[in-house]
Amino acid sequence: MSGDSAASAPRPSGGRPGRPVGRKAPGSRWGRLLDGGLLQGGVQGSPVIRLFVRWVRRPLLPVMRLWRRNIQLKVVATTLLMSLGVVLLLGFVVIGQVRNGLLDAKVKASQSQATGGFAVARQQAEEDESVTGEDGTAIDGRPSQSVIQWMSDLVESLSSGGQGAFDVVTLPAADESGSGRGPRASGEVNPTASVPAALRERIDSGPTAAQSYTRIVYDTKKDSQPGLVIGKQVNDPNGDPYQLYYLFPLTQEEKSLSLVKGTLATAGLFVVVLLGAIAWLVVRQVVTPVRMAAGIAERLSAGRLQERMKVTGEDDIARLGEAFNKMAQNLHLKINQLEDLSRMQRRFVSDVSHELRTPLTTVRMAADVIHEAREDFDPITARSAELLADQIDRFESLLADLLEISRFDAGAAALEAEPIDLREVVRRVVSGAEPLAERKGTRVRIVGDQQPVVAEADARRVERVLRNLVVNAVEHGEGRDVVVKLAAAGGAVAVAVRDYGVGLKPGEATRVFSRFWRADPARARTTGGTGLGLSIALEDARLHGGWLQAWGEPGGGSQFRLTLPRTADEPLRGSPIPLEPKDSRRNSGLDDAGPAHGGGDGEKRATVSAREPGNDASARDPLALRQAAGPPTADPTALPGSGARVVSRPSGSTRMPSGSQGGADPAGRQDAGGEGGRSEGRDVDRDGEASRGRR
Amino acid sequence: MGGGERGRGASARAVAYATSGVVLLAGCASMPDSGDLRGVESTPRQDAQVRVFAMPPSDDATPTQIVQGFLEALTSDDPDYRTARQYLTREAAKAWRPELSTTVLSNGPDAQVEAPEQQNTGSLSYTLTGTQVATVDAQQAYAPASGSYDKPVHLTRDARTEQWRIDVVPQGVVMGKSDFQRNYMSVNKYYFASDNASTPPMTVADPVYVRSHVDPTTEMVRSLIKGPTTWLKPAVRTGFPVGTALSKEAAPLTPDDRGKLTVPLNDKAGEAGTGRCEEMAAQLLFTLRTLSPAVEEVEVRAGGGPLCSLARSGAETVATRGALHQPDYLYFVDEEGRLVRITSGTSDTDPAPAPGALGEGEKALRSVAVARDERTAAGVSVDGRSLYVAPLVAGSPLGEPVLQSTGKTEEDRLTTPSWDARGGLWVADGNADEPRLYLLEEGSDEPVEVHTPELDGRVRAVRVAADGVRIALVVEKGDRRSLLIGRIDREDGTDGRPTVTVLDPRSATPELEQVTAMSWAGDSRLVVVGREEGGVEQMKYVEVDGSTPDVPPPAALTGVKAVTASEDEQAPLMAYSVDGIVRLPTGAQWQKVTEGTAPVYPG
Repeated sequence: MSGDSAASAPRPSGGRPGRPVGRKAPGSRWGRLLDGGLLQGGVQGSPVIRLFVRWVRRPLLPVMRLWRRNIQLKVVATTLLMSLGVVLLLGFVVIGQVRNGLLDAKVKASQSQATGGFAVARQQAEEDESVTGEDGTAIDGRPSQSVIQWMSDLVESLSSGGQGAFDVVTLPAADESGSGRGPRASGEVNPTASVPAALRERIDSGPTAAQSYTRIVYDTKKDSQPGLVIGKQVNDPNGDPYQLYYLFPLTQEEKSLSLVKGTLATAGLFVVVLLGAIAWLVVRQVVTPVRMAAGIAERLSAGRLQERMKVTGEDDIARLGEAFNKMAQNLHLKINQLEDLSRMQRRFVSDVSHELRTPLTTVRMAADVIHEAREDFDPITARSAELLADQIDRFESLLADLLEISRFDAGAAALEAEPIDLREVVRRVVSGAEPLAERKGTRVRIVGDQQPVVAEADARRVERVLRNLVVNAVEHGEGRDVVVKLAAAGGAVAVAVRDYGVGLKPGEATRVFSRFWRADPARARTTGGTGLGLSIALEDARLHGGWLQAWGEPGGGSQFRLTLPRTADEPLRGSPIPLEPKDSRRNSGLDDAGPAHGGGDGEKRATVSAREPGNDASARDPLALRQAAGPPTADPTALPGSGARVVSRPSGSTRMPSGSQGGADPAGRQDAGGEGGRSEGRDVDRDGEASRGRR
Repeated sequence: MGGGERGRGASARAVAYATSGVVLLAGCASMPDSGDLRGVESTPRQDAQVRVFAMPPSDDATPTQIVQGFLEALTSDDPDYRTARQYLTREAAKAWRPELSTTVLSNGPDAQVEAPEQQNTGSLSYTLTGTQVATVDAQQAYAPASGSYDKPVHLTRDARTEQWRIDVVPQGVVMGKSDFQRNYMSVNKYYFASDNASTPPMTVADPVYVRSHVDPTTEMVRSLIKGPTTWLKPAVRTGFPVGTALSKEAAPLTPDDRGKLTVPLNDKAGEAGTGRCEEMAAQLLFTLRTLSPAVEEVEVRAGGGPLCSLARSGAETVATRGALHQPDYLYFVDEEGRLVRITSGTSDTDPAPAPGALGEGEKALRSVAVARDERTAAGVSVDGRSLYVAPLVAGSPLGEPVLQSTGKTEEDRLTTPSWDARGGLWVADGNADEPRLYLLEEGSDEPVEVHTPELDGRVRAVRVAADGVRIALVVEKGDRRSLLIGRIDREDGTDGRPTVTVLDPRSATPELEQVTAMSWAGDSRLVVVGREEGGVEQMKYVEVDGSTPDVPPPAALTGVKAVTASEDEQAPLMAYSVDGIVRLPTGAQWQKVTEGTAPVYPG
């Protein structure tokens, strides 16, 4: 939290490097304040605000998720909002018009009423003036007629014309000339509070009538109400001006307006509810089949190909459902066809293998007889008999492998797992490969056999896998040492077979496991193994729930690693042995030594995870391969603790320490060997590849 | 086939539903022309009362403005005239007592300055002039007045503040007639007739004027407790003990939500017993009847504790009012001189002869009077010479006349008689030589001559009020016939015969020159037919104190020779005019009933 603000603090200061000169002292303070404000508001720097935002947002999150996921809610809410807006707008417009209309009518009627009243007041004043003018003014030259009673009478007579419709108020003129007359009001109106001061000033300023809206206040308990007040300056019989006001309560108009308001509000509410309901219904009609289709599609993708949509009617939705169902049906049909085809092929292979066996036995016996009797043949025929025996051997092993593979394909392979010590298996295999190694001049070393390496496994299958690997390594090792390494950590055991032969080209690390794969497909298969050995080994590893992976680099040799769970049915998380050995050319810092590294990247690791079928797909993509190969490169043994929990690391991070380590390795020998081997690498490679499948 | 029929039935039903729905909707969309019955709550109509808001004197007001402002403040609703006092100097404000009297001028007071050239000396005199119409005294009793009003007002300029103020002012309040009518209202106070002749006691109305906008309820209660006006005092008594007054801390009296009015009195009233207290409560209820109709019950408290409480219905058992007696029949004389009657308060036009000798036409009658209990009747013969009294019982014989007149002409003989509530029969003898007023007690044949020491002239008509305390007389003197209200004073004489005197007669209609007919029309109200000087004959209501009541006058009628009204205001006004017997129902025009003369309600 403080790190946030600390990190963002330099940003505003760095944002205006050219300004500090121009800033004055008060300005800088303002600027600092502004900075603080910006910082707090813009970056949400204040922890309190952020906590508050989080606190507010938390209960809203499910709602927002619902909002994102539910199209029905979206449509209905939008419809409600829009219709509400329209209804409100309409209400304002209509109420405004009604109000104006009501007011117009009222104002016109009131004005004519008030004008009549003003005329009456003036007329009465003139009449009384003429009556008293003869005797009243003559006495002492000044009119001293009392207007007290006259004015009360006037107000009474004016107001008696419209009880409840209007009230009459008189107020003294501003200069209060003549007698100091007090305000008069009819109908319990409070005159001073009801007539606005602005209107009084306006009336004082001229003889024309003026009007204003006001709130009529009563002296009794009656509630005050809005009203229209029209006033005029009129002269009393003495010729002194006073202000005469007509007050028209707008009670009736307000009642009408509130009636309209109530009506509009009710109608608007109904309309909004109706529109919301319509939207809900319509969206429901559309969304329900879509939801159903989504559910069915999910189930189809999960493999339940029998699922179909329910289709009723003939509308667009029904057509969608029909098309969907047709698609699912076709899919189902095609998948079934393919499955049948594949099953038929496997069956064919199996049948062919079996059928070939019986004549082959006969051919074998005959060939044995011929072979036994080759001494008697001429040299050419004897050579043919030897060739025949060899090829029949090969044919037999090919048939056996085919049968094994077809057993795997048919799912007939059964695992007979029991706790075994892998060291014994390894020693047996190594001693079995001793004659071949001697012939090649290769020494097979076993590393990591100080402690028992026990795992639950099928000894026969593991031995077959390891034999295949060791024989391959000896055959392609070009006379160099072969290292068999054992390790156990966490829930896994691993055996890695390392050779320093021609290695693998980029991309070959995955392909080596393909059936009948060879480095040069154009070459006929005349020597070596059947081409099925690694495939069977891979299947064996898979059967154990383990991994069989290959790594290699051109000229740097290769390493094959078998990783098995310590107990059957336990998922693998990592391997005790890194797939790429520490003494690889890349780790020794020799990557850039050879321009022959086509991709510039000597990394040719391949991970064929027996457990993750998805990796087959990624194996085809070199880019995805590197990413997917990340977790297996993790070295649990390099971790402190038991390594039971393998944390995946980016490959770069494992490379850095191993690279620094690799500087101490006996790289010179490898380097020389690599360079040396490279010149003749082609032929050897060809040979190696040709015989790679051999076990 | 069956399916088709069912379909047709369903569609018919749908059509029926739709039709009924449309009908229902149409019913909602138009104004109802039928529906449930409901009572209508009457809201009292608000009068367009004009109120004057008194303004305090402005700075540097001229002397004329001060005088006019003061006069204007007198017409305002200011309680205690606080604003008006601001126009007076401090000493004058202390000495000025507005409650002492109210002078009503015909057109408001005019202020005439005298010697305006003295204005610079700081002393100025004005004269308030006008034509008096009436005065209201300290007891709030109204009295007609005449003559000119001429009172001095003196202003001085305060040496310190340089402001003009009034330092000499006439006591009391003065205002114009219409202002008076706006600001004051007439209310009857009720007391009991002191003769104690009947149970429950008969109440006597005593009209006074109070300011209608300044808490009239409290003011009326205070006035009621203070006692009757001077004129009525000798003839009435009050339920309130001497020295009773409203408790000092009493707030303005207002009835609570259930119409109960609590009247707190001081300790003096605490000595009164329950009967006395109920009399007080009845007086309060009768007095407040018209002023605040919301009062349904009165609780009298004294010295902090409740004394008694009385509901409106209970008040009529404690005391009675003349207006509470509803007449059964209207009586008059038909063309053959018989006493006939029609049912009162109906549109009945078919007269039936009254039972008894007078109804049988044995003697042709000129005028009649029926006792208030409608058991006895009195008739004056067609020549006006003899007065007969006969019970209203079929078959009873007509006795000898109880009174004979010796007047020379028919006009100078006996007037229409009148019964009071105790059964006394009043009649005047218009003999030019020897005018007399007689009282026949209990209808006996021994007439008592009533003393009329202050009466100057011949009594031409006599009507006694239901309370038996007040008597209305039309007195002729010279060309003038005026209506006088007198107070009946009754003393038991030495010889066992009472001495009856009519005292303090006062004019109720000073402006009428010729009063031709009159009748009581309420507790303190009469209906009068008369002519003003230089005017035409008119019919109007007057209060006994001479003021004009705040009710519309009856519709005009020409050639009225006799008029009768009941103190019960529901009974229609009846008159004998050139059209015969006519009736004025409430809110309508005069209607002809039948031929006949001398219509009277009982009394």
